Amino acid sequence: MMARILVIDDEKDVRVTVKEVLVRAGYEVDTAGNGNEGLEKLRDLGADLVITDVIMPGIDGVAVMHQVRTEFQGIPVVVISGGGNIAPMEYEPSAIKTSAYLASASVAGADATLTKPFGRETLLSTIEALLNG
Amino acid sequence: MILVVYALSMPVLYFGLVSVVKKGLTDAFVDEVRSFSRVIADNLEDLIGSTRDVEDHDIIEFLDGVVLGGQSNYAVIVVDGELLESSLLGNLGSHNFQEDFSFGTNGDSTYYVSLPLVTGRSMGILRLGFDEMPIEEHVEQARLTILYVMLAYLAAVVMLTIVLSSRMVGPIQRLKYASNQIASGDYEKTLDVHSGVLEIRELARDLEKMRGNLVGINAQLKSEIAERESAVAGKKSLESKLRHAQRLESLGTLAGGVAHEFNNVLQPLMLYTDLAIEDIPDDSPARRHLDRVLELAYDAKGLSQQILTFGRIGGEAELQELNLAAIVDEALAMVAALLPATIDIKSDIDADIGLVNCDQRQIQQLIVNLCSNAFQSLSKGSGHIELRYFHSFVTVDEATRHHGLHAGDYAVIEVSDTGVGMDQETMRRIFEPFYTTQDVGEGTGLGLSVVHGIVVRHGGGIVVESKEGEGSRFRVYLPIANREKSRRQAIR
Repeated sequence: MMARILVIDDEKDVRVTVKEVLVRAGYEVDTAGNGNEGLEKLRDLGADLVITDVIMPGIDGVAVMHQVRTEFQGIPVVVISGGGNIAPMEYEPSAIKTSAYLASASVAGADATLTKPFGRETLLSTIEALLNG
Repeated sequence: MILVVYALSMPVLYFGLVSVVKKGLTDAFVDEVRSFSRVIADNLEDLIGSTRDVEDHDIIEFLDGVVLGGQSNYAVIVVDGELLESSLLGNLGSHNFQEDFSFGTNGDSTYYVSLPLVTGRSMGILRLGFDEMPIEEHVEQARLTILYVMLAYLAAVVMLTIVLSSRMVGPIQRLKYASNQIASGDYEKTLDVHSGVLEIRELARDLEKMRGNLVGINAQLKSEIAERESAVAGKKSLESKLRHAQRLESLGTLAGGVAHEFNNVLQPLMLYTDLAIEDIPDDSPARRHLDRVLELAYDAKGLSQQILTFGRIGGEAELQELNLAAIVDEALAMVAALLPATIDIKSDIDADIGLVNCDQRQIQQLIVNLCSNAFQSLSKGSGHIELRYFHSFVTVDEATRHHGLHAGDYAVIEVSDTGVGMDQETMRRIFEPFYTTQDVGEGTGLGLSVVHGIVVRHGGGIVVESKEGEGSRFRVYLPIANREKSRRQAIR
């Protein structure tokens, strides 16, 4: 049985392309446009791995990650970082702080970090490593 | 002025002296003749009052004797109404029977004395006349003597005054000139006034001291003004640096914001292209194009990374003490992978030079940027690039020559190339953001300014050498952590 992956990102294009790449690689993929929606889907449908963007409206990716850890056991979380420490104004200030934190070497707590823009190979190898390791 | 006063007082003095002398002489004369007359009168009284018969001619003889004696030149007696006079009288008339009470009256140069004669039997008046001329001559002589003495005295005083005044006036005029100069602002010349007069010397000394103080105050004021001006200039320079930094920071913030958005766009762009490439047959012409699109997307990613690093210039570096040798090695591997095989890349990395307090990612970015810059300078895409990592001890001399370096131990990252080199003008500007010698669309002009920012945040320095037509060499100096410790180890 192929693994089920949950992708949480507020950008539609990101959701569409990441899902497509993962599907073509044989995974089951669910998507959500914000943290809360993602957590709902996780509770309803379950997943073997969660990929979440950091800067989103509502709760940010790090909060999602902590929530996943609290509610579920053993689900690896991959965070997508924008690579910078700037966030558009309409997002919450905590997102900026979090993003800055993520911009440095590695995120404490995340099982892996994907820095935008990442390519197909990077995405797939990161997922594989986590699911099989 | 003093002379004038003096000159005016001289006549007064002269006349005073003269009258004193004259009075003395004439009074003496009068006293003498009067006492003489008194004696004569007494003798006459004795003669007339004597017991024997006195004839007229006895009296006349007596009177002659008086005249002959030389004291008197006139002797006349009136006894009982009868006038008897000395036979030796000249043409001196006896008409004026007045007594002179003071010298020189009547203008006849004779002093007449009248004395009463009191004898037992008769009453008479004795009248004697005394020549005033000798006295008048004495007085005249005295007058002349006094006059000469006074004139001589005056002359002496005049000369003395002239001499003294020139000795005083001279220095005083010099003092006046000097104080005029000081007042008009010129106090560089030393005041040199000698004088025999104590007050003038002291005045000169005080004036000189004042001048010295003025010079000192002036110099102090000048240096204070200069200090203030340089402080103002320094402040202005700092202000302009701050403005520049603020511009850079806001530029960085702007650029960072743009880059972030950019990354968000690049993400789906890359994946869509990936997917499209998968969807079309390998031999399709579109395939080549899409491959190229993907490459360009990755290039864009590189650019975006650089912009983001640039945007972090205002931010802190996350520093750790690391052995950079491994990091340099890794960065070199990255660079080698990125550059075409036609480039000859050499390396010489000393693994044992101590730890450097640094941000690993930024150092890697730095190396990549330096190598990229080196690559861009190679003409026709071929040549050598050499990367060295070694220890260097910077002496105080060297430190003064390169801004930003202090004396001490450094780890040096050196990137040299055999490229086209740079002229002075270019070397001055290479660290400016967006300054590039590349064609439009080729270089961003950010690479070296990012390098510069990283070096600054690590507390190091960067030295550039270049020769046109031969190549360039960039040396990044990073301070070795725990210099004391590492130096002691090195000595041991």
